Amino acid sequence: MRGVHILFLLCLWGAVSHAQEPSLEASVDKNPVAIDDQFTLSFVLTNAGMSGGKNLKLPNLEKFHVMMGPSTSTSMQIINGAVSSSVTYSYVLQPKEIGTFTIGSASIDIGNKTYTSAPITIEVVKGSPQANQPKGRQGVSGDLDAQLSENLFLRASVDKTRALQGEQIILTFKLYTRVAVQNYNLNKTPTMTGFWSEDIEMPKQVQLTTETVNGKQYQVGVIKRMALFPTQPGTLEIGPMEITTLVTVRDRRSWDPFDAFFSDPFGRQIEYVVKSEPLRIKVDPLPVGAPVSFKGAVGRFTLNVKADRLEAKTNEPISVKVTIAGTGNIKVLESPAIEFPKDFEQYTPKVSDAINRREGKINGSKTFEYILIPRYPGKKVIKPVEFSYFDLGKREYITLRSDEIAFIIEQGAPAAAPFVAATPRTDVQLLSQDVRFIKLSKPAFRRRGEFLHTSPVFVALTLLPLAGIAGVFVYTRRRQEEMRDVVGYRTRQAIKVAKRGLKAAEALLKEILSGKDGSSEKKLQFYAEVAKALWKYVGDKFNIQQADLSIETAVNELHKRAVDGEIAASLRSVLELCEMARFAPTSLSLDTLQKTYDDANKIIVDLERTLKKS
Amino acid sequence: MKRMICIVMFAASVHAETPEQFFDLANQAYQQGMFAEAIEKYEMILQSGLVSGELYYNLGNAYYKAGNIGKAILNYERARRMLPNDDDVLHNLQLVNLMIADRIEPLPRVFLWDWWDGITSWFSMNGITWTMYGVFLLTLVAGAAFMLAPTYALRRAAFIGVMVGVILFVGMLSVFLGKLGDLQRSDIAIVTADVATLKNSPDPKSTDAFVLHSGVKVFITDKVKGWLKVRLADGKVAWIEQNTCEVI
Repeated sequence: MRGVHILFLLCLWGAVSHAQEPSLEASVDKNPVAIDDQFTLSFVLTNAGMSGGKNLKLPNLEKFHVMMGPSTSTSMQIINGAVSSSVTYSYVLQPKEIGTFTIGSASIDIGNKTYTSAPITIEVVKGSPQANQPKGRQGVSGDLDAQLSENLFLRASVDKTRALQGEQIILTFKLYTRVAVQNYNLNKTPTMTGFWSEDIEMPKQVQLTTETVNGKQYQVGVIKRMALFPTQPGTLEIGPMEITTLVTVRDRRSWDPFDAFFSDPFGRQIEYVVKSEPLRIKVDPLPVGAPVSFKGAVGRFTLNVKADRLEAKTNEPISVKVTIAGTGNIKVLESPAIEFPKDFEQYTPKVSDAINRREGKINGSKTFEYILIPRYPGKKVIKPVEFSYFDLGKREYITLRSDEIAFIIEQGAPAAAPFVAATPRTDVQLLSQDVRFIKLSKPAFRRRGEFLHTSPVFVALTLLPLAGIAGVFVYTRRRQEEMRDVVGYRTRQAIKVAKRGLKAAEALLKEILSGKDGSSEKKLQFYAEVAKALWKYVGDKFNIQQADLSIETAVNELHKRAVDGEIAASLRSVLELCEMARFAPTSLSLDTLQKTYDDANKIIVDLERTLKKS
Repeated sequence: MKRMICIVMFAASVHAETPEQFFDLANQAYQQGMFAEAIEKYEMILQSGLVSGELYYNLGNAYYKAGNIGKAILNYERARRMLPNDDDVLHNLQLVNLMIADRIEPLPRVFLWDWWDGITSWFSMNGITWTMYGVFLLTLVAGAAFMLAPTYALRRAAFIGVMVGVILFVGMLSVFLGKLGDLQRSDIAIVTADVATLKNSPDPKSTDAFVLHSGVKVFITDKVKGWLKVRLADGKVAWIEQNTCEVI
């Protein structure tokens, strides 16, 4: 819009060549002004020309709240071909304190020149509570309006302007009147973002009381009461409420009660709109350190968790009611977290609340009813339910805990479902994951950097078998060498065999030779032993039965094996000598004994050597 | 009362002469939820120069409960070296590894390496040593039999036994040496600081390469006074301050 104006101005600029000197003027729309009233400070720039003003510098306005601005409006006049234009910068201000203040000069640049406004002195006076400029008045003259505004106003008040998040605030709208209000109608309910509000029930008939404000007596009626619960921290605004009243007025200048006596008793009825002032509430956040189960409840509550029965059969529903009762922001309460047994079927809870709005405080209860269906028998437990709230009295978080509820579920009739063929099986649910427990068994400590294979015992255990195998190696090696010396080996072996066979004979011979016992019996025994050893040797060697043994068979056997005839002859002679000795033992001299032994020995050794060879 | 307890504890710590008793005390502290105290006791056993897989495992648990993921992983890794087949150790290590803030995708490996790791981790150090010792003894017995066997058939059987034994022994020896190397390798470290900023060169003024959180495993490739050049499992390379990580 402004652009269009400027464009228009531009068009005319060429036609109208001359213009007046620009000026900047400051003005206020009211002076004096009430402390709680708003006023408009305007700077009017006239005849700024095509380029307009730039760089408006405001005076110091720290004594006032700047409620709005700047808003700019442009106007243009053409009178008798003389063009005058003006640009208005306006600010809506509200005084901060009572007194007389000077609003300093503002300045603006036009082209290269700077124009300044004259300072303004403004007087701020103690204001009387009054409704804001009522809007939409009907048939109310300015005079009457001023009179009415003094005698009829709506006031919003709260019981506290600073509250904690979730703390109850009582908002009261009172109608102050010194005129007869016939009726009233709610036009606009107050807006309140950031609150949960609950109307407090009021009696149908407004109870009137008397109150004195600024020395004047008013009839006061509470027309609306609300309980507010801030849901967020910060500065929250409660918007104005607007009501239309039907007022009887008498056409009089004065409201003096004496005059009233003389005035027309039947006044006329007019509609008059009153509006409350907006309110600001500072909401502080709740202190830190809220417990986990805290979900925003503020006030004072009790918790009750109850099941309708503790013993049930499978597939029979159980109802568990969680009731939170008390004073506070009941409506916004959420269900506390409940750990139901994992194999209970569970449905979304039915929530119901009973709120008592009659008293000054909102109280009541909220109930969450859970329907559970146990599917498996056994002992099932609902762990204690935790509910936390912030206690406004104690200024601390309080956690309530219900008792544990234990159910005994018995196997009931199988679910009346002919379709179910098998029990539905679910995976084992991992309820929580944690590290496994520590090891309590006795640990096998060892020194850092120490290993089994370097320990002396292990080294010894390794070396010992190595030594063993080395011994075996040496042993076999030596045996092999001996094996190479075949004759020597055979001889040694044969001698051993002969010695073993003739052991008894040798012992006897020694006895006889030593002269201990030279009796013929001993000699006889000696020959018997020699014969026995030879026979045994031959029998074992040639595998001949004892019964078949005779000198002939033995000699034959030797021949068969191509043994040297000398050995056979020697064997024969020794065996014959032995047989002979049995019959004439005395005839045998000691020399013969020795010779017989040597011969027998030689026979066995020779036989061993020759038979091995083959 | 508290002082009494202190005195009693002190007395206990003085009189607990065997590390086993000390270990039991630490376990008791752990069971009572006094994790800091348990950690202190376990660490004291370690300081005395004794080590054991169970000790490292319990210490890892205590660190985990005390909220120190880096140290927990470090000790689980140490425990795994000594108890490669222990289910609890592997479970806890795996679980705590999930809590590392950084996700590092390891580079793909040749499958043979995985096989090799499978084989080596099948044996404990003492297990492989004794198994090898058994094979060694059997081979020696077969060798002795070979030398002493009276008949040709027996000698042949013994010879086959010796050959099998030698092959087995060589295989075991390579596993053993591999394990020994793994046990003694000092080029794997775990980040124990909560946050470690890795640099592009070993200099605090150097540009930041990336940030690691506690518990990440790094492979040391180089060392410069106070700094370690490390490679991550995904191949990234940077320098880390030595005091922010600890060698397994």
